[in-house]
Amino acid sequence: MYKGIEASRGIGIGSICLITEHDLSFDSKPVADKEAEKARFNDAIEKFKAETAEMAENIRKNIGPKEAEIMEGHLAMIADPTMAGEMTKMIEAGQCAEAAVTAVCDMFIGMFSKMEDDMMRQRASDISDIKISLLKILLGVEDVDISKVAPGTVLVAHDLTPSMTSQIVKENVVGIITEVGGKTSHSAILARALEIPAVLSIPNICEIVKDKDTAIVDGTEGDVYINPDGDVISQYVIKREEFIRAQAELKNFVGKATLTADGKEVELFCNIGTPKDAKKAIECDGEGIGLFRSEFLFMDKPHLPTEDEQFEAYKEAVETMSGKTVIIRTLDIGGDKEIPYMNLEKEENPFLGYRAVRYCLANTDIYKTQLRGILRASAFGTVKIMVPLVTCVDEIRAVKALVEECKMELTNEGISFDPSIQVGCMIETAAASLIADMLAKEADFFSIGTNDLTQYTMSVDRGNAKVAYLYSAFQPAVLRSIKNIIAAGNAAGIPVGMCGEAAADPLMIPLLISFGLDEYSVNPVLVLTARAIISKWSKADADALAEKVLSLSTEKEIVELLKASAK
Amino acid sequence: MVSKVVKVTNEQGLHMRPATVFSAAVTPFDSDVKILFNGNQYDGKSVMMLMAACIKCGAEIEIQADGPDEEAALAKAVELVESGLGD
Repeated sequence: MYKGIEASRGIGIGSICLITEHDLSFDSKPVADKEAEKARFNDAIEKFKAETAEMAENIRKNIGPKEAEIMEGHLAMIADPTMAGEMTKMIEAGQCAEAAVTAVCDMFIGMFSKMEDDMMRQRASDISDIKISLLKILLGVEDVDISKVAPGTVLVAHDLTPSMTSQIVKENVVGIITEVGGKTSHSAILARALEIPAVLSIPNICEIVKDKDTAIVDGTEGDVYINPDGDVISQYVIKREEFIRAQAELKNFVGKATLTADGKEVELFCNIGTPKDAKKAIECDGEGIGLFRSEFLFMDKPHLPTEDEQFEAYKEAVETMSGKTVIIRTLDIGGDKEIPYMNLEKEENPFLGYRAVRYCLANTDIYKTQLRGILRASAFGTVKIMVPLVTCVDEIRAVKALVEECKMELTNEGISFDPSIQVGCMIETAAASLIADMLAKEADFFSIGTNDLTQYTMSVDRGNAKVAYLYSAFQPAVLRSIKNIIAAGNAAGIPVGMCGEAAADPLMIPLLISFGLDEYSVNPVLVLTARAIISKWSKADADALAEKVLSLSTEKEIVELLKASAK
Repeated sequence: MVSKVVKVTNEQGLHMRPATVFSAAVTPFDSDVKILFNGNQYDGKSVMMLMAACIKCGAEIEIQADGPDEEAALAKAVELVESGLGD
């Protein structure tokens, strides 16, 4: 088995077509007839433009306009005065066309590949693609015609250039393996758009395989098998069927409301870390943002973010969600997350120390700057404020008083905001869980943070491998706690959400349905999966299972029962 | 010669698409259009040089136009950058 980078999900089993690298070496002797050489060069450029335009058109038709932009970019680059123009100058100075193309392209490849920006580095591979295409035209080298490969082909190449990808016939290519490239490379993007399983960056794979070898490409895990035995193949045939079935099933849930099997609607939100992630939430069909972590604003900069900077960032997310709920969690930092300019002291027990709302209430100037930024953004959509690490009623009262202070200030300054903005508690400590009924009288909503709730309830540091086995949201103590929190929220008539990893756990979902959770907030890529699982459980089925689960006294028994009952 | 300092506001800076939009818009002018950034000069009509400048969101750049239609060229260039270059 060979391990590479999983670049496009799914499983492909097929026969290898090895795309060998061409010999593009040339004799760079000076040219006598400069005019003839220029004409030869110009013909090559024209041919390149025509071929590239055709590929762009192919991609646009078969994949999409966004992916076609890659090829259109190649056209823009070759049309650039510094590209063809510089090449022409070199030919006029007596170089052959091949040498001119190589020199100018290599100069730009060197320049772009040194850049820090990932997108710019990608340009280096664009130019390399242009260079290879031009040299092939000049040297008269014919490519393997990828569009003509037989059905059931696994393509293996050093690198899959956009020009190659554009010729792929989706029905015939079942997998892609390359020696270079990462998750954000063109080949990865195009493979995902074509929904062809792809594993990239397996060193020397071109030397390991031969044409017609059998290959399994597991683009979900990043595994590749060459000439595997029958057992492995039949195992992967089953995996492939499962994957295809699950994908088809998920597509049925796009754009649908999130309903339990007996028709109760719940909210399915997303957890995000930056304003840009809001786009992802929309693309993944999230119904809102259940947790917008605000720490990125504080960690990316050498200084505290200003009110305006925060406002702009929150507003961007709020506007992207166009009216859908955005729950912003206020600053959740402490001695374990280093923010140099804040001068937080190293603590013996950072998780039990000066952090999150405790820090914010002791530094009200910093906190009010954030609250004002959030309030201003609330004028542009539906925004809610969520307070992390609450352990007593005083804290939520103090935050609400500060929010009122900020509202007064903004009103006096004539700045608009949502006057009825909701302020809720993150329930993630044992203390908050035990007084959930009291907090429910103060807070407008709850959101259960299962990661910290598990850690604090079990008194276990999940980063410590020796005790990590205790870290499980399926421990009876954690399950009881979750049940009590939801019950307290329901009794007080406030919505209860969950933004920890457990909210998307297929084993946890039936329990949450039984307990009466109102809102599930998950990683955007898990939205459809969570919606599909929720749709399988009715309240009655979930209640029956939850009753049995709550009667069990060990985590092992609980997980075994949940696995056996999974739908 | 006329010039003006503007701030790049589109999210990803002058990457391929915005650079293409910019160079395509200033190329029809007879004037030379240059961008001054980080102490270097870049040809505003060249996508490659614009990208090579690696201008990020928030950067302040000076746009210079020099030639018979310099006023119009500068106005067009400034308007484009300020409007986010079609991003």
